[in-house]
Amino acid sequence: MARNKYDVDEVMEEKFDVHQLLRFAKYVLPYKKRMILAGVLMLSSSALTMLIPRFFMNVLDDCVPEKDVAGIVKYSILTLLIILYSVLTLKTKIRITNEVGQNVIHKLRTDIFTHLQELPFSYYDNRPHGKIQVRVVNYVNNLSNLLSNGLINTITDLCSLVFIIIFMLTIDWRLTLICMCGLPVLGIFVALIKKKQHRAWQIQSNKQSNLNAYIAESINGVRVTQAFVREERNLEIFNRLSDSYRTSWMHAVRYNFMIGPAVDLISVATTAFLYVIMVNWLVNGEGGASVGVMVAFTGYISRFWSPITTLANFYNSLLTAISYLERIFETIDEPVAVKDKEGAGEMPPIKGKVTFDHVCFSYEDGVRILNDVSFTAQPGQSFAIVGPTGAGKSTIVNLLSRFYNVDSGRVLVDDIDISDVTLHSLRTQMGVMMQDSFIFSGTIMDNIRYGNRTATDEEVVRAAKTVCAHDFIMEMEHGYQTQVNERGSRLSVGQRQLISFARALLADPKILILDEATSSIDTETEIALQKGLNELLKGRTSFIIAHRLSTIQNCDTILYVDKGGIRERGSHQELLAKKGLYYDLYMSQYSFLND
Amino acid sequence: MTPMKWFYSFLKEYRPRIILGLFMVAVMAGAALISPAVSGQIADEVLQGGDYGALPRLIAVLIAATVIRAALRFAVPYNFEICSQGVLYKMRDAVFEKLLQEDFEFYNQNRTGDLMSRQTGDMDAIRNFVASNIYAVFENILYFVFALVMVFTVNVKLAWLMICILPFTAVTTLLQMKAVKPAFHKIRRQFSSINTYVQENISGNRVVKAFAKEDFEIEKFERENDDYRDSELACAAIWEKYIPVFEFFANILTVVLMLYGGILAIRGQISVGDMVTVNGYLWMLNSPLRMAGWYINDIQRFVTSVEKIYTTFSIQPRIKSPKNAVRMEHMRGEVEFRNVSFHTRDADVLEDVSFHVEPGQTVGILGPTGSGKSTMMNLLFRFYDAKKGEVLIDGVNVKKLNLQDLRDNIGIAMQDVFLFSDTIEGNIAYGRPDCSFEDVKRAAIAADANHFIKETPDGYDTIVGERGVGLSGGQKQRISLARALTKNPPILVLDDTTSAVDMETETYIQDQLKKLEGSHTIFVIAYRISSIKDADLILVMQDGRIAERGTHEELVKKGGYYARVFEHQYGKEALENGQK
Repeated sequence: MARNKYDVDEVMEEKFDVHQLLRFAKYVLPYKKRMILAGVLMLSSSALTMLIPRFFMNVLDDCVPEKDVAGIVKYSILTLLIILYSVLTLKTKIRITNEVGQNVIHKLRTDIFTHLQELPFSYYDNRPHGKIQVRVVNYVNNLSNLLSNGLINTITDLCSLVFIIIFMLTIDWRLTLICMCGLPVLGIFVALIKKKQHRAWQIQSNKQSNLNAYIAESINGVRVTQAFVREERNLEIFNRLSDSYRTSWMHAVRYNFMIGPAVDLISVATTAFLYVIMVNWLVNGEGGASVGVMVAFTGYISRFWSPITTLANFYNSLLTAISYLERIFETIDEPVAVKDKEGAGEMPPIKGKVTFDHVCFSYEDGVRILNDVSFTAQPGQSFAIVGPTGAGKSTIVNLLSRFYNVDSGRVLVDDIDISDVTLHSLRTQMGVMMQDSFIFSGTIMDNIRYGNRTATDEEVVRAAKTVCAHDFIMEMEHGYQTQVNERGSRLSVGQRQLISFARALLADPKILILDEATSSIDTETEIALQKGLNELLKGRTSFIIAHRLSTIQNCDTILYVDKGGIRERGSHQELLAKKGLYYDLYMSQYSFLND
Repeated sequence: MTPMKWFYSFLKEYRPRIILGLFMVAVMAGAALISPAVSGQIADEVLQGGDYGALPRLIAVLIAATVIRAALRFAVPYNFEICSQGVLYKMRDAVFEKLLQEDFEFYNQNRTGDLMSRQTGDMDAIRNFVASNIYAVFENILYFVFALVMVFTVNVKLAWLMICILPFTAVTTLLQMKAVKPAFHKIRRQFSSINTYVQENISGNRVVKAFAKEDFEIEKFERENDDYRDSELACAAIWEKYIPVFEFFANILTVVLMLYGGILAIRGQISVGDMVTVNGYLWMLNSPLRMAGWYINDIQRFVTSVEKIYTTFSIQPRIKSPKNAVRMEHMRGEVEFRNVSFHTRDADVLEDVSFHVEPGQTVGILGPTGSGKSTMMNLLFRFYDAKKGEVLIDGVNVKKLNLQDLRDNIGIAMQDVFLFSDTIEGNIAYGRPDCSFEDVKRAAIAADANHFIKETPDGYDTIVGERGVGLSGGQKQRISLARALTKNPPILVLDDTTSAVDMETETYIQDQLKKLEGSHTIFVIAYRISSIKDADLILVMQDGRIAERGTHEELVKKGGYYARVFEHQYGKEALENGQK
């Protein structure tokens, strides 16, 4: 799959899928009892409220002519009681809808986030991070509207609609049917614009995603932007994205605004038709409905249409929400490429034997990165992997941590195929220090402790000392408690490398992987580090990728990797004696001395 | 400027449209009153009165009123939506432009997720306010005033009694406003917090996986998620308290009418017909009172968001182009640091640094991590300003130069490579978006990136992930170098640019860079001697000071830090040879 970037819309299903709603309904299902309670309370309160006009009529028709003050007081008190009841039910309704709404959103967010943790690197590599983020935060939030205002109102409105239709039917079924013949027309209209409306909201969600991606990237890359004086150009790009967001919003919202007027027009047409029929009956003396019945009936027409208007509004928010729901479920459904096999066991405590058995691997079909790689490292051995950039060095160690699955062949640790054990049990026993040393915002202490949450402060400090990070940390104004942020801009790359080094150390791994771990560390620190490192490597199997050969000369075995395969292997001395590729590489360091 | 004034400066432009919109709302409200009146007339005159001839006329009025209302029910929200999207567009633009101008200190203190929330979630409350609250509140006031006037014409006493409800509602309004404000601030903070957390988790996904810390992350996320939910629920608890009170006061009007109106009717001070009329207006009185609580919520949410955004917006960057800045489109590349000192908690310190570089010279900078090498370059770029002393380019203090000109004349390949999720070509041409493909390719060849780019499936059109994920460290560095070279600036800064490339590549790149010597002033920060040994001047930094300076030969002979590094990298023998 091609990578996505900020100004490219993500592909989407065009079909409107009711499934999404049913799936969403499952999130609400656990709260059905409370939802029903709220619905019943609302219905009872609206039924009671319907008594108030009756009381009012009684006051006017009976109490006033008879000068019955006590009767007026009685009806007033009854009305007051009904009001108090409806106020209390309203309170309950607000509480229940909010609790249900927020809990549903909470669950949905947890599900999408939990799933994201399982998704492989490639998922993160293939799209701007802002586009992932918008799903977890913004899209999910957009649903709260649907839940907090929509659901219960819709249920109660549906109920009152049914009540009113029954009421009308008891008065005159023919007039009721005429009144209801507007509904199919409304149905047809809604169905006609549905496809376009749905599509419009999908596009809108895409534009929101694009904008979010661009904002995220712009903030993260602001140093580069300023250094390259790209502000104006970026502002143009931003405005272009911002404008398509606006345009798509205006386009989508237009469909939503159409539905209310459509209800109005259809209702007035049927009402007018109804009056004409009524008058016809009266003029011709047929139909059998009395004038009284007709007058009463006209009173219900507006009550019939008012819940329909509310339902139409709910329908609007539903269509808006579904375009977000699709995106959320799409993420939750994203297949997990690297996962535990069914019945995968725990990796027993690792001794440290590592075997690559005829391993082939490609990131994308057709472009083979590793071709038939085999080697065995005995427990406690240190392996160096050298070779030109892009030769597949990082790929080898990535396969060892099972960040990717091999295409063919096997990767074994202590003679156990790593795909047969749980990822968690495997990775917790390995320490990986990557090229990109990511720093979380928080204290330096927390960042190091990330490798082992149960480590004491002393252990953290000891790890920092081993990797020679202690001195510079202590020079910062709050020492280990100094706050750093995720861009790590307060720390130099070398300092960040040392911190993530300490982090890997603290995890006390049986297998240690250092991928360009010391590229930006100055020589003096490196010398000091080397001593700590030698101590560290004892008893652990280690894989070291480095361009500075001074780092790796003491390794037990050096693998020279190029073009997806191991070209040379042996100790430093052996390889130098061989006068092959490694020898050339080694000598190239000294080439300038001979200038 | 207050946050509200700032907001108003965006709204101002739409004043005519808003007035037009409010006028339409008034017409719409009028049309809404006509329909039930006509329906009543049909029931009374046509059905009961038998005046069948009046039906066509009344139906025509009914349809006309509904058509007008329907048209306005589309036009009004659409009109306000145009205003709100317009305001948001301008506001986003302003905030984004500000973000691009903010200096490093700002970015050190603000987290990405927080800044993003300002541009997304916080904007949404503003949208809602302009798009619907403005006219909905107006519509309700309109109904309320209209109905009140009508009640006054029917019976003054009754009207006054109904007005008595208003102070209660007003007090409740004030109380709710006060109570709900901190709750909304809490929600916004929590929103930012969860946004930030998710943003970091996504950025750090490799570390999370490498340490198998998924469970820990989920646990932490749950806390954020809980806190966010709880802040929403805490806010809801406040409405739960107040909204029913509004509902109560709204409905109490019915009781007032029933009780007091009934008694007045018994006394003969008011007719039954009057009571029916007032009852007909009652919904216009109580529905605004009922809605008041909800509108206060929305308005308070809006105010909170404007305040949040404005707080971010109003932070002034300390580093900006001076007034009457010296314009200098093409610099020669003479660089001088004159007794420069720099202290901040955000970066490494510099103490009394002085050196002078002629145009076209190459300067190598070596020194331990955190010794101030990058800080020095940051001062040159004016990412920070020197606290003491002067940084001069072509004899002009950089603080006096036009900032755009300054940065346009310096190209940098940063230590911490950041690539954008764009094509490789787009990334290399970042500083010169309009340059030709040939220029891009030439730079890529000079940076030894052409080979591996050509091997990727889509060549220069390959999209690299954010921060360049998917590329190896060495590949990223070479693209970053090509990006700096495309800019072709008189001053070039290479900050640890070749640390992750192999020796052969480095040698090749150095040969390419040699072609620039003489025409470009080049600063090379490196840990490897091989990267800097041919430089005209080598500065060795230690603890923010220049500890040693000279050429490679001089420094090797001197036997200091540089010589020690040299010995470590090339062995004793090489050192002894060099010192001969």
